[in-house]
Amino acid sequence: MPQVRILAKNFMDMVAALPATKLDKLYENPFICEAVLRSLPPLAKKYALQLLFIDSPISAKTMEGWVLADGISKHRVAIDRLLQLRVFLEEIDRKKESTYKLNPKFQGNIQKYLVYGGSLPRQPMPSNVTVRLPTLEDLETYVLEQWEVATAAINQGFLLQLISSSQVEKLTSFSASMMKFFQRGLLSARENEAPKLTENGFQFLLMDTNAQLWYIIREYISTAEDRGVEQMDLISFLLELSFHTTGEAYNLNTLTDIQRSVIKDLANLGLVKLQQGRKESWFIPTKLATNLSVSLSDSSARKQGFVVVETNFRMYSYSTSKLHCEILRLFSRIEYQLPNLIVGAITKESLYSAFENGINSDQIISFLQENAHPRVAERIPAVPENVTDQIRLWENDRNRVEMTLAHVYEDFPSKEVFEATCDFARDMGGLLWEDTDKKRLVVRGEYHQDMKDFLRRQK
Amino acid sequence: MASKLYTDDVSLVVVLLDVNPFFWGGALKKTTTTTNSPSVLSFSNFLNHVLPFLNSILLLNQLNQVVVIACGANTCGYIYDSSETKTSEAGVGGSGRMPDLCERVLGSLEEFVVNDQRTGWGADPTAANAASGMLSGSLSLALCYIQRVLRGGLLHPQPRILCVQGSPDGPEQYVAVMNSIFSAQRSMVPIDSCVIGVQHSAFLQQASYITGGVYLKPQQLDGLFQYLSMVFATDLHSRNFIQLPKPVGVDFRASCFCHKKTIDMGYVCSVCLSIFCKQHKKCSTCGSEFNQPHLVPISTSEQK
Repeated sequence: MPQVRILAKNFMDMVAALPATKLDKLYENPFICEAVLRSLPPLAKKYALQLLFIDSPISAKTMEGWVLADGISKHRVAIDRLLQLRVFLEEIDRKKESTYKLNPKFQGNIQKYLVYGGSLPRQPMPSNVTVRLPTLEDLETYVLEQWEVATAAINQGFLLQLISSSQVEKLTSFSASMMKFFQRGLLSARENEAPKLTENGFQFLLMDTNAQLWYIIREYISTAEDRGVEQMDLISFLLELSFHTTGEAYNLNTLTDIQRSVIKDLANLGLVKLQQGRKESWFIPTKLATNLSVSLSDSSARKQGFVVVETNFRMYSYSTSKLHCEILRLFSRIEYQLPNLIVGAITKESLYSAFENGINSDQIISFLQENAHPRVAERIPAVPENVTDQIRLWENDRNRVEMTLAHVYEDFPSKEVFEATCDFARDMGGLLWEDTDKKRLVVRGEYHQDMKDFLRRQK
Repeated sequence: MASKLYTDDVSLVVVLLDVNPFFWGGALKKTTTTTNSPSVLSFSNFLNHVLPFLNSILLLNQLNQVVVIACGANTCGYIYDSSETKTSEAGVGGSGRMPDLCERVLGSLEEFVVNDQRTGWGADPTAANAASGMLSGSLSLALCYIQRVLRGGLLHPQPRILCVQGSPDGPEQYVAVMNSIFSAQRSMVPIDSCVIGVQHSAFLQQASYITGGVYLKPQQLDGLFQYLSMVFATDLHSRNFIQLPKPVGVDFRASCFCHKKTIDMGYVCSVCLSIFCKQHKKCSTCGSEFNQPHLVPISTSEQK
């Protein structure tokens, strides 16, 4: 998975960043407790479970005794996370030692879960009411379609002219204001200038669906208040949604008004599919929704790939999608296009233009690997090694020269002073270059003041 | 790496529950005589501890899977499989993804016990082997299940077996149990054992020792859930960082192949390593003939 700046947060980080009172309120919902628990690092999960039926606070020292010496860093991470999410509450006892205790609301909900088992947020509708439920495959294609439109729409300014007319019609169903929120950050719209994809925008195109989804959901949540929706309601609804069963129908009447307005937007993103019966209407969560809190990008979300890369740098993509073509165009030279095949070549020039746009080699390689055609996907490596190596080398070419602000010091009175200065600079870690014969040295700019002080003392 | 996905703690836990009526009947007798003793547990209390534990494993990760195998006096069988319920019961308008686990476990447990009893009718109920339960059979069932999962899917759950046993070891099952242990070792499946009986179990000590699992005999059975959640809920990944109970001592004694007795010292076939408590002329397993000690007097007579 490409690690990019805009991906640095996931759903739970967002939850963790909420103020304490809001967070405590969130824990009133058992589904959020469950989702939060599952998102924790393994050790943290275990701690939460161990303390579940213990009412008195446990001292931090005791807990440290539970782990082996090599696990101490993991232990710290786990404890930090638990405190961050307010699953653990820290208390200082009489002996000035910190003790931990489970958040009582969280504890209560999880205890209930263990004793009564998990339940569902709402019951699916009986199958005699919902006449024609889509099969799971139908749902899958629906997701892909919807998602492609959404992705393309977000990069509207850049890709709109390339999308076929039928898709443009669908686009209009997306509310314009929402679109603007999504495009923020991905497109740079300067005055009097056609909107252009930003660095983030390019990276966005190469991310896998889950990462893209998360990016959009994050924007959606952070702008929720502008639309008159309470951020917390939205978060709890999204988490709740992830506990529904994929492919089951749920009655829209069970939702609150706010949730009903949200669900239309989610349908546009392909998180749910809305269907209308004779009397009632219902929504069907798709895989995207149920994977949301999990943000798993492993095989469960794996889609059929389409790209074959050969050792001679040619790339064959079995795809009819215009969006795919445009994505490939980001880093390769498209040579010709057949109805179901796009043939391109990865060249130095095409990659340079990609690098200029802020895409890095790892993103390109992981895109190629994740979308490898099933025929080559089972091969290891899916993308020939010489190609991946070359892509990395070409990226390195661009980084051959590294600029560092530095100062030159010369005209040293004696060899001793020169050597002492060299040692001093080396000790600070700022020595970049030295020439003993001519008694010259170059030191990083940030150490200039230290160097000046040192030289003054030498005199 | 904030977006690190914690998927390495996925686990597939096969739980072998001891439902041997001889053991639980004995436990019940003790509870009535010595009231509120912390070291004896009635069967219903036992389930009160185990069911939340199963729930807690399912809670820890959405990809976790729990399979319960009951191990009775005469038979053993699958009681519950968390992956099955997701597919088969989802459509039946009932409870969907996670139905009431307790209800399902209890339902099939009852069915199992009735069947188990019926199978036992033919045999002599006082036979010694009935008291020991079907550990070997349930271990094999668990391993078969794990093999199927490992071969079947792209998913690689990290499987482990948890034996919650109270019945004493049946020496007559020695060979079968050891074979199961070795095949578990080969397929890198740790066998955890939680002994709730009065005595330590030599079989399970060896099983956990050989496969790298955890062996524990809880002191206070009324806190069984806490033991289970502290020790046995630990996924294989976290075991590298957590202090777990160390084995105090392992009873390596073997059972002889001829009379199924547990022995300290005995005779071993030099060809197939079968163990006997008495000297034989011929190995009953591989058929190789042994040198007889009475050959010695013959050789001395020739010297004359």
